[in-house]
Amino acid sequence: MKIVVCIKQVPATHEVSIDPETKRLKRESVEAEVNPFDLYAIEEGLRLRERFGGEVVALSMGPPQAQWALREALSMGVDRGLLLSDKAFAGSDTWATSYALARAVETVGAVDLVLCGKQAIDGDTAQVGPGIAAHLGWPQATYVSHVQDAGAKHLTVTRMNEDGHDVVQIDLPAVLTVVKDINTPRVPKLRDCRTALRAEVAVLTADAVRAEPARIGLDGSPTRVVKINPPPPRGGKTLVLDGSPAETARRLVHELRMKSLV
Amino acid sequence: MQHHIDKKMFHIEILSPKQKSQKLEEDLASFADKYRRAFDAGHVICIPDNPMGNLAFQGIELIQELGLPVHGDQVSVHINTFHTKRDLDAMLTAACDLGISHMLVISGDGSPRLPKLTGKEVGYDVEAVTSVELLRYIRREYPGKFHIGVAFNPYEPQDHELEKMHRKVDAGAEFITTQPVIESHPAVESLWQFGLPVVIECWMSKKIHLLSECVGYEIPEDTPYDPVSNLQTLMAKYPKCGFYLAILGFKTQFPILKDVWK
Amino acid sequence: MHTPTETDRAQYRNVWVIAEHRDGKLKGVTFELLGAARRLADARQSEVWCVLLGSGVRALAGECIARQADVALVMDDPRLAEFVDELHADALTKLIEKHKPEIVVCGATARGRALIPRVAVLTNSGLTADCTGLDIDPETGVLLQTRPAFGGNIIATIKSVSHRPQMATVRPRVMAEPEPQTARKGRVISEPLPTAVQHAARMKVLQAITNTAEGIHLADADFIITGGRGLRGKKGFELLRRFAHLVGGAVGASRAAVDAGWIDYAHQVGQTGQTVQPKVYMACGVSGQIQHLVGMQSSDIIIAVNKDPNAPLMKLADFAVVGDVFEILPAMMDEIRRV
Ligand SMILES: Cc1cc2nc3c(=O)[nH]c(=O)nc-3n(C[C@H](O)[C@H](O)[C@H](O)COP(=O)(O)OP(=O)(O)OC[C@H]3O[C@@H](n4cnc5c(N)ncnc54)[C@H](O)[C@@H]3O)c2cc1C
Ligand SMILES: Cc1cc2nc3c(=O)[nH]c(=O)nc-3n(C[C@H](O)[C@H](O)[C@H](O)COP(=O)(O)OP(=O)(O)OC[C@H]3O[C@@H](n4cnc5c(N)ncnc54)[C@H](O)[C@@H]3O)c2cc1C
Repeated sequence: MKIVVCIKQVPATHEVSIDPETKRLKRESVEAEVNPFDLYAIEEGLRLRERFGGEVVALSMGPPQAQWALREALSMGVDRGLLLSDKAFAGSDTWATSYALARAVETVGAVDLVLCGKQAIDGDTAQVGPGIAAHLGWPQATYVSHVQDAGAKHLTVTRMNEDGHDVVQIDLPAVLTVVKDINTPRVPKLRDCRTALRAEVAVLTADAVRAEPARIGLDGSPTRVVKINPPPPRGGKTLVLDGSPAETARRLVHELRMKSLV
Repeated sequence: MQHHIDKKMFHIEILSPKQKSQKLEEDLASFADKYRRAFDAGHVICIPDNPMGNLAFQGIELIQELGLPVHGDQVSVHINTFHTKRDLDAMLTAACDLGISHMLVISGDGSPRLPKLTGKEVGYDVEAVTSVELLRYIRREYPGKFHIGVAFNPYEPQDHELEKMHRKVDAGAEFITTQPVIESHPAVESLWQFGLPVVIECWMSKKIHLLSECVGYEIPEDTPYDPVSNLQTLMAKYPKCGFYLAILGFKTQFPILKDVWK
Repeated sequence: MHTPTETDRAQYRNVWVIAEHRDGKLKGVTFELLGAARRLADARQSEVWCVLLGSGVRALAGECIARQADVALVMDDPRLAEFVDELHADALTKLIEKHKPEIVVCGATARGRALIPRVAVLTNSGLTADCTGLDIDPETGVLLQTRPAFGGNIIATIKSVSHRPQMATVRPRVMAEPEPQTARKGRVISEPLPTAVQHAARMKVLQAITNTAEGIHLADADFIITGGRGLRGKKGFELLRRFAHLVGGAVGASRAAVDAGWIDYAHQVGQTGQTVQPKVYMACGVSGQIQHLVGMQSSDIIIAVNKDPNAPLMKLADFAVVGDVFEILPAMMDEIRRV
């Protein structure tokens, strides 16, 4: 099975903030890491390779420093890393990002399966996985929590939803987005990290994947982020309830019920 | 372990390089250098296990990969409960092979990124595996192989903490290492009842406010603090104890250690 | 490929809500979206259309109309009985191409977030994820979409100026649900499953399983009830579990409770545990060390129950309940069951 795992480099979240003066996102100084959800996709790719043989390729679109995300994937055991990097990709929204990634998957060629994380913790949209599937014209299953079985031409997987889960059979090639329940990602060993640091990471430009200029970057992005604000401050004051348990319960349950929260 | 104290050997904590380091080779060289210096000076090298949940390399793989010397007596690795059973056993076996004889067994800070031992894996019917179950597991599966210490936190409510300490001692703890103590702490005296060697942690960075997280109350950023004089105070106050030095400066502090404990 | 021109854009009218339903019942998020769509359509002087894709969904048309839809657009076909992403996306794409809505909104649910991104690519339109606010820019008539990103650390406003339709998924339980008005009149338009979409599905649903209880994830829960050292042991967490079960929530824990071995690490909230952002975060016997607070402070409503009125969490909370957890929780459970 030839598997491409899409990984995004993201800022380590808890440190992201808005500069109160410029109202812009402060992310320069912040450490970057592989999108945590993508570690599960990498791990699942490795496990599928262990079960069924084949190759796992990690693919990331981003600036040159996104190579560090690929090196992390390499240290976990993927066979090779591909960095899709070109100034022309700058400003891509999920439409353009998924288009570029789909082109890269086609460039890799003969791919059976694309694995994505559930969502990226910065953009938080969860749109890129289904977007890749649409651009490739492949079937998709999202929020996958278990891969039961694989045949030559299809996979049987469990996908989650708010009410429970479905067991579905999906033809290959396909795109899956995976959730945390699917596995526990391995922690790389020192030896493998050292090797990964020296490994070659191939860089692909927009031309190399034959991405049409009108479909990538800002020009290829239908959406525009027009404003970024800090979240509104926590509203209101603390209401202290120190009556009898019954009184307190009545008051609290009433408040929650007014907002349909119980 | 008592002989560490009798022979005036400091426990020196050396933080291992972080998993995500982009200058790994440099970090490894600096780690090896500190390790050898502490080793040659006859101290005990203590290597934490993903402290604060920050992913770092394991002490045992560092020793193996860098070919560092081990004298049965002079290395103490920390082992927490955030490992797969397979990795844990591999580490413990390697520790036996390398002749590492001391370890500090802790529940651990943990991180969502790390796997967690389950009760079933180590053979205990518990809600959560803590230092106690891990200790019992190591005693059961590797009898007589290690001298095992446990952690003590003077800043937690003491009835609770001492109750836990009884469990740790019942499980086979042979020494106790405390969280950092500033000048003195009444809770330390309650440890005498266990009749075990006690090692007191001394914070060797001037930035004492960094301790806020560990002591559980806010230490203002500009609080003046002289680590060496605190160490001397502790040594005078607790003459029967050993000392664990965290964040030791190898440029200026390390060379004077030999004059501090004479 | 070309970006639509002014004249192209002018052909797009009306606000569509993609209904979500299960076992023959509409989900609450559909009503919430209909309420929001009404506001947008009024501002654009256009209509609200509710799109029903599925098998046997014709029967739901009246309810959509009662909740503010002017038109129920129905594609009722047994082949749409199970949610097959590709099939549903292709079908919806055909509807959009034919009827040209100006705005399309859908719940930011597991299904919505699987379906709509696919449709956005196929229709070459912009899609904003997981919105918590939708407004019409009074000057340009463009849809202004606000959404949290970076795990709620920022709020972004996004628009899609040149492409149509403008699409958004909307977070459930943010918008108010309109009351049903049984006397409301509307039209029903039925469309067959287009032949172009009737290709053999490349995915089939073998089994659809509904969860019974438990198993609600901390990260997904709307209601989290957390216990700390004040719970005094495992028994306390049993009480929390019963409470969580009653309100359909999940159980969390502070580091102290996890270190005590009362509950598994998977439940830990805070710096070295999980970061959560539920609608209601109810902390019981949790003092609220800063390491805990960073993991939950962006929850919508924070309730703290503690004997100690000076605990840090009692200061942060919207409701600070001074009292014994073991009295307050049973009283609340009685009250919830009573009404
Ligand atoms: C504040 C803010 C809000 C935004 N809102 C929107 C919006 O509403 N709509 C929109 O279209 N765009 C939006 N964007 C742009 C969007 O974040 C980027 O297009 C981003 O590159 C991809 O989206 P995501 O981070 O949401 O990824 P998601 O769709 O959440 O990612 C899902 C998975 O796709 C894969 N993946 C994602 N990006 C990459 C990559 N670069 N390389 C390899 N694999 C990848 C990973 O497997 C990942 O787990 C927003 C950007 C910002 C800064
Ligand atoms: C010197 C030192 C070094 C450290 N190094 C590291 C490190 O390298 N890596 C790291 O991650 N952290 C480290 N820590 C931090 C340490 O992990 C935390 O302080 C930790 O949570 C404390 O763990 P503990 O081992 O003392 O175990 P605790 O969590 O305090 O002990 C668990 C206790 O819970 C009790 N228990 C279990 N079940 C029950 C029950 N049902 N009811 C009641 N009680 C129960 C057990 O009996 C046991 O006593 C270190 C701390 C110190 C002081």
